[in-house]
Amino acid sequence: MTGTEPRLVEVRRNLLKDNDLRARALRQRFRTAGVRVVSVVSSPGAGKTTLLAALLQNLTQQLRVAALVGDLATDNDARRLAASGAPTRQITTGTVCHLEARMIEQALEGWELAELDLLLIENVGNLVCPSAYDLGEDVRLVLAAVTEGEDKPLKYPTIFNTADLAVITKCDLAEAAGCDLDLLRHNIEAVRPGMPVRLVSARSGLGMAELQHAVAA
Amino acid sequence: MHELSLAMSLVEGVEAECAARGGLRVRAVYLEMGELSGVHEDALRFAYEMACQGTELEGSRLAATHTGGSGLQITALEVDP
Repeated sequence: MTGTEPRLVEVRRNLLKDNDLRARALRQRFRTAGVRVVSVVSSPGAGKTTLLAALLQNLTQQLRVAALVGDLATDNDARRLAASGAPTRQITTGTVCHLEARMIEQALEGWELAELDLLLIENVGNLVCPSAYDLGEDVRLVLAAVTEGEDKPLKYPTIFNTADLAVITKCDLAEAAGCDLDLLRHNIEAVRPGMPVRLVSARSGLGMAELQHAVAA
Repeated sequence: MHELSLAMSLVEGVEAECAARGGLRVRAVYLEMGELSGVHEDALRFAYEMACQGTELEGSRLAATHTGGSGLQITALEVDP
């Protein structure tokens, strides 16, 4: 050792694992408290907030439901969801393009989980990054609107592979948007064989009762 | 696309490792990037520089090697003698 050469210190620190560990702890907390957690991912504008607002309207009649919603800025979505009467908190991520388990932990502070039956989490509108971050949820919904084109699942296969249920939204506009629903379903099947798919329209109410059942179950 | 938040956890991770060893002056951070991690090296380098600003790590170098798998792991720190 001359005392001038830099030295190497061996370290083993997995960066992506940090989120997985936090998500695992969250999942355990949710399970212990008996709260079911359902998250929603999609591109911006696919209808996450409208869908959740419609679901909350009915779910609050039968269950103790709360919602967390992530955006880069504004609390517009939290205000929309709070209209249902459900406790709602906005997570503003600043420049971060997805929600992380750590943000969920922080947003839950002060909430008594045992007093909830269901927690809904709306992720930041993004079909790329949320796929790498487990939030401790039981079920993840991925939305694809009929206005987005039938090939969305082919372009963003990873997010379809990290979700449990695909929901095709704005189906009342399918004809006007020229969307081939069979082709869209076929493309979902191509990237994620066997994935359950539901067709809904929050505006017309199509498929909403069935979706509500799947979310609450 | 989420390289900025990864870079921020990278800086936090290195700071924690340094603190645990009684304070080290870091010159370089050695990182293993899994092919399936979805992390883009150029974007991470760019974000790393930003994340280091105003911290003890400002001016440090990121030395990345590519491996299989989906991990992103700090393997070593090159520090002042």
